[in-house]
Amino acid sequence: MTTSSDNAVNYVRKTQNPKFLTLSLPIFAIGLLGLVAGFIVNPTQASFNLVVIMAWLLSIGVGSMFFIGIEYLSGAVWSVPFRRIAEINSSLILIMPILAIPIILNIHSLYHWTHQDVLATDEILQRKSPYLNETFFIIRNIIYYAVWVIFYFLLTYFSNKQDLTKDQQLTRRNTVVSAIFMPFFALTLTFFAIDWLMSLEPHWYSTIFGVYYFSGTVLAAISAFTYISIKLNEEGYLVDNLKPDHFYSMGALLFAFTNFWAYIAFSQFMLIWYANLPEETFWFINRGVGSWLYMSIGIIFVKFIVPYILLLPQPAKMNPSRLKFASLWILFAHYYDLFWIVMPTFSKERLIFGWIEIASVVFAVGTIMAIFLLFSKNRNLVPIGDPKLKRSLEFHL
Amino acid sequence: MEANSLKSNLYGVSAIFSDTKKIAEITHKVAELGYKNYDVHSSFPIHNLPKKMKLKWSPLGYIAFVLGISGAAFGLFLTWWTMSVDYPLIIGGKPWFSFPAFVPVLFELTVLLASVGTAIVMLFIIFKFPNPKHPLHDTEYMKRVSVDGFGIVIEAKDEKFDYEKIRSLFSEFGAEKIFDIYYSPEELNYKPKVFEPKFIVFLIFLVVLTAFIGYFVNNKLFYMPPFDFMLYQFRVNPQEESTLFADGFAMRPPVKGTVARGQSFYQFKGQPEEAAANLINPLLPTEQTLALGQKKFNTFCSPCHGWRGEGDSRLNQQFPNPPSLHTDKVRNWTDGRIYHIITEGQNIMPSYASQLSEEERWAIILYIRALQRSLNAKLEDVQ
Amino acid sequence: MSRDYDYTIEAPIIEQNPSHSHINDAIARPLETKPTWKYYLALGISTSMLLFGVVCWGYTFYYGIGMWGNNQPIGWAFDIVNFVFWIGIGHAGTLISAILFLLRQRWRTGIARFAEAMTIFAVITAGLFPLFHVGRPWLAGYLFPLPNQHHLWINFTSPLIWDVFAVSTYLTVSFVFWYIGLIPDFAMLRDRTTNKFKKTIYSILSFGWRHSNRHWHHYEMLYLVLAGFATPLVLSVHTIVSFDFAVSILPGWHTTIFPPYFVAGAVFSGFGMVQNVLIIIRKVFDLEHIITIDTLEKMNKVILATGMMVGYAYAIEFFIAWYSGNQFESFVFINRALGNYAWAYWVMVSCNVVFTQLFWFKKIRRSIIPMFIIGVLVNVGMWFERFVIVVTTLSKDFLPTNWASYIPTLYDTGILIGSFGLFFTLVILFIRTMPVVSISEVKGVVEIFKKQH
Repeated sequence: MTTSSDNAVNYVRKTQNPKFLTLSLPIFAIGLLGLVAGFIVNPTQASFNLVVIMAWLLSIGVGSMFFIGIEYLSGAVWSVPFRRIAEINSSLILIMPILAIPIILNIHSLYHWTHQDVLATDEILQRKSPYLNETFFIIRNIIYYAVWVIFYFLLTYFSNKQDLTKDQQLTRRNTVVSAIFMPFFALTLTFFAIDWLMSLEPHWYSTIFGVYYFSGTVLAAISAFTYISIKLNEEGYLVDNLKPDHFYSMGALLFAFTNFWAYIAFSQFMLIWYANLPEETFWFINRGVGSWLYMSIGIIFVKFIVPYILLLPQPAKMNPSRLKFASLWILFAHYYDLFWIVMPTFSKERLIFGWIEIASVVFAVGTIMAIFLLFSKNRNLVPIGDPKLKRSLEFHL
Repeated sequence: MEANSLKSNLYGVSAIFSDTKKIAEITHKVAELGYKNYDVHSSFPIHNLPKKMKLKWSPLGYIAFVLGISGAAFGLFLTWWTMSVDYPLIIGGKPWFSFPAFVPVLFELTVLLASVGTAIVMLFIIFKFPNPKHPLHDTEYMKRVSVDGFGIVIEAKDEKFDYEKIRSLFSEFGAEKIFDIYYSPEELNYKPKVFEPKFIVFLIFLVVLTAFIGYFVNNKLFYMPPFDFMLYQFRVNPQEESTLFADGFAMRPPVKGTVARGQSFYQFKGQPEEAAANLINPLLPTEQTLALGQKKFNTFCSPCHGWRGEGDSRLNQQFPNPPSLHTDKVRNWTDGRIYHIITEGQNIMPSYASQLSEEERWAIILYIRALQRSLNAKLEDVQ
Repeated sequence: MSRDYDYTIEAPIIEQNPSHSHINDAIARPLETKPTWKYYLALGISTSMLLFGVVCWGYTFYYGIGMWGNNQPIGWAFDIVNFVFWIGIGHAGTLISAILFLLRQRWRTGIARFAEAMTIFAVITAGLFPLFHVGRPWLAGYLFPLPNQHHLWINFTSPLIWDVFAVSTYLTVSFVFWYIGLIPDFAMLRDRTTNKFKKTIYSILSFGWRHSNRHWHHYEMLYLVLAGFATPLVLSVHTIVSFDFAVSILPGWHTTIFPPYFVAGAVFSGFGMVQNVLIIIRKVFDLEHIITIDTLEKMNKVILATGMMVGYAYAIEFFIAWYSGNQFESFVFINRALGNYAWAYWVMVSCNVVFTQLFWFKKIRRSIIPMFIIGVLVNVGMWFERFVIVVTTLSKDFLPTNWASYIPTLYDTGILIGSFGLFFTLVILFIRTMPVVSISEVKGVVEIFKKQH
C-alpha cells in the first residue's frame, strides 16, 4: 500500500451556499406540484412528458458514470479535480424508480404494444411480443437499474474512500470496475433507449438508435458537468490553480460530441431517407407533419449549428462564460431532441407545448438541483485523495 | 560599428545553447531588449517559446476556416448546378436537388480544400518555401541545431544590431558556441525581377504546357467516343434472312396464342351478312374522327380506290382497278358490311386488319360516307 | 508495489531516456546502413506476391472481369471485400496520428509516422480494386466530374461517387499530413548526411526547412488544423464506404448502424495490422526503447475496445433484425449464422469478438507472441466480416430461384495475394528510405519527461 503524502492539495471544504438551497427547493416543489396536477388533469400527456424528463435526467446520470469510467480507463488527468462533480451528477440514476413507476402505471396510454386488442390484429406486433410485453419490460428495467446502481456504488464508494485513505490501489480497482462497466453500459443504455423511446412507435426500428441516444447522453452529461464545474470554480468551491487549459478540454469534448451527434443523426436520417422503405420512413414522415416540421428542421440548428458555432474558435473553448452558455444550451438541446423523439406519438398533428411541459421541465431542473444538494452535502467536492490530482493541477496543453 | 562595415555580407550572429531552459532565458532577454529580426532554432517546438518571442496568434486556423467554407460552397455549387440545372435526372425517385445525398461530396471537398490549402498557404506563402539557399543552411550552426543544440540568431539588418554587444550578451547567458553567419556573395547581389527574361520565358512555357495538358486530357486521354456502338453490333435487321430459324426469316411472328394488350377478336369471320346486320359504327362523325378517317383513307385506300373513291387507281394498271365506292350497291351497304370487307378483304383486296386498328377502320368508314355524300349531295346539304 | 500502479507520475513514453543525438542515430540508422540479406529476402517475398497479383491483374485487364468468380446474383465479391478491407487498414493510421493527437495521447509519438505511412499504402492498395472493377480502367477518369463533349455529369447522389471523393480526399489529406510531419525530419537528414546525392534529395524534400521557431509556431497550428480535419475525414471515409451497402434496400446491408460500426471495425483491423508490423520493425531495427511494450499494450487495449464495439454491432444487428418483425431481415441473419456461409460467419465472430477477449489479461497484452497471433486473427476476422456482409446477403436474394454460391477463381485469390504484396513492398521500401519514427516528436516527448525528473 503506497500512500502519497506529498499529494496534499490545498482544498478546504465549504458549507453549501444557502442561496442555492433557498432557490432549489421551491423550484423542485413547484415542478413537482405542476407535474402532479398534470397527472390529475391529463395523465396521458403528463406521462409522455415524464418519459422525456426521465430520459433526460438519466442521460445526465448514466452519462456521468460513463464519463467517470472513461477518465479511469484513459488515464486522463485534466478532469480529476472535477470528477467528484460527475460522481454527484451520476446520483441522478437513483431516482429512476420514482420516475418510472408513474409511467408504468400509465403504460397503456403510452405504449401501443401493451394493448391486447391491437396485438390481436397486428401480426408484426405479435412477432415482437416475446420482447415487447409488460412483464419483460418491467424485468428489463429492474435489470438496468440494478446494473447502474451496482456500478454507481462501486465507483463512488471507492472514490469517497480514497479521500480518507489516499490509497492508490483504489484507483486501480476503479479502473477495473470501469472496464467491466463499459460493456454493461453499452447494452443497458441501448436497450433502455429501445424500450422507452423506440417502442413508442412499436413498428419502427433503427439499429443505430442506441448509439444515437448515447451521443446525446454523453453530451448532456458533459454539459451538466461543465456548467456545474465552472460555476463552482467561480464561487471558489474547488481548488486553486485551475487554468483555462482545464476548461479547454471540456469545451473540446462538448465540441467533439456535438459533431459526433450530428454524424450519428445524419447517418440515421440519410440511410432511412435514401432507402425509402415504408416500414422505416414513416417515423420521419410523422415528424414532418404540421408544426412538427419546424421542430424537425429546428433540431439541426438547436443541436448542431448553434453549439458548433459557439464552440468552434479555439479561444471560445477556454472562455468560461461562453462555455457556461454553451453547456446550458446543449442541455436544452438534448431536451429538445428527446421531446422531438417522444412527443409526436402523443400529438400527431401538431407541436404542443403547454403548462404540463413547462411544469415537467421545472421539475427536472429542480430535481437536478435537489439531488446535487443532497449528495454534495457530506462530500468533498474535489477527490483530494486521488493520486493523479497533483499531476492534474500541473496540467497544461 | 567597425566590424559592421567590414563585414558587409554578414547575415547575423548566432549562438548555440545546450538546453531548453537556457534558450528560453536568452530568448526572453532578446525579446525584452526589443530586437525584431531574430529567430530561435531547435529541432522540435519548444513549449511556451512563441509567447516569449511575442509572436502573434497563428492565422492558419482562420485561413483553414475560410478555405473550408469555400470548399463547401464550391461543392454545393457543383452538385446543384450539375444535378439540378445542367443535366437534371431523376435518380431513385429523389428530387433533383436532394441535399442529403450531396452532403458526402460537400464534406469531402470542404476537408480537401481546407487541409491541402492551409498546408500550401503555410509552406509557400507564410514560410516562402522552398528556400534551400538560406544563409543558415550548410553551416556548423544548423548542423548542431539539427541534432541537439538550441540556437538563436540575431540578424544584421535589425535596427539595434551591434556586433560586439550581441556576442557578449550571448556569452553572458552561457552560450556554448557563437558563430557569425554570412551570405554567399551571389545571393547578396541577387534580386528577383518580374520582367526578367527567364521568368517571362517560364511563364510562357507554363501557359503552353497548361494548354497542351488541357488539350491532351480533353481530346486524347479522356476522349469519349460518340455513342454509336449500337450501330455496329451483331444483329439482324428487319426483313433480312437468318440461318438461325428453319423458315429462314429473321423476323419472328409472335408465339401462337399471343394476345396483344387491348386486342380483340373479330367474331364474324367469313360471315359478311351477319357482320352487316350486327355491327354498328361506334364513332360519331366529328371533326377528329373524320380527319383520322381521311388520313388513313389517303394512306391505305386511295392507292387503289382513288383520292375520292372513284376507282381511279394511281397504280398504272398494275392491279385491276377496283370498282367505284359511289355505286348504289356500296352506298346501300351498312357500315358493318364495309367494316367486314376492310377487316377480311374481298376478291383481290387483302385484309387490312393488321395495318388499321378498329377505331381507324370505323373512322375510314365515316370518311367514305362523307365522300359518298359529297357526290350525291341533297339540296338541304347545301343550305 | 510495481511502477505500473503509481499514478502520481506519468510513465515515460520513451524508455532509457535517450539523448537527442542518440535518437537521431537510432532512427536514421536503417537509412544509412546496407541492408542485410533478410531485408532482401523479405523484399523478394513481397515482390513475388506482388508479381503474382500483377499477372492476375493483367489477365483481368485484358480479358475483363469475367475472369473473376463474380456472377449472378453475387455481382460484388472479392473486389469490394478487399477494397473495404484495405481502406479499413488505413484507418488506424489516421486515428493514431490525428485523433490521438487531439486527445493528447503522447504514446502515439513512437508509432504515428509509421501508421500514417501505412494509411497511405493501404489506401493506394484499396484504390486499385474499384479501378479494376469498373471494367474499363482506362476510362476511370470519368469518375471525376470532368466536362466532356456529351455534357454528361457524374451522378452525385450515387454512393460510389461519394467513394471516389472520399477515397481520393483521404489519400491526399493523409499524404499532406504525413509529409508535413516528415519535413523537419528530412531537414535533419539533410544536415546529417555527407553524401552529396542524398543531400540534394533531402534538400528538395525538406523545402529548406531550418528548424525556426517562428516556423514551428505556425507548424504546430497547422498540425492541429490538419488533425482537426483528418478526424472527421477518417470517420467520413468508412462511413461512406458503409453507405455503399447501407443506402440500398437489401436486408443485411440496409442497417442504420453501419456507419459507426464500419468505422469501429476499420480502426480495429488497422490496429491489428499496425501492431503486427511494428512488432517486427522494433525488433529488426532495435527500436524497442522507442516503440515500447507499453505502447503496444495500449494498442492492444484499443483493439480490445474496438473489438467489443464491433461485437456490439453484431449483437444489435441481430437483435433488431428479429425485433423489426421483417421476415426478410431475420432470414438473412439466420442464414448468416446457420446457412451455407456459416463457417465464414463464425470465423468472423470468433476472431473479432472471442479471441480478442484474451486482451483482458495483462500478461497477454504484454507478451509479444500471443499479441502478434491475435493481431493476425483480427485481420483474418475483419476480412471475413466484409466477406460475410457482401457475399451472404447477395447469395440469397429475394428470389429463391436466383440463389447461388460464390466460388472465387484463381484470379480473385491472385489479386488478393497481390494486394498484400503491393502493401508490404511499399512498407518494406518505406522503412529504408524514410525515418520510420518522427524524430522531432520523439525529441519533444523526451524533453517533456526530462523536465519531470
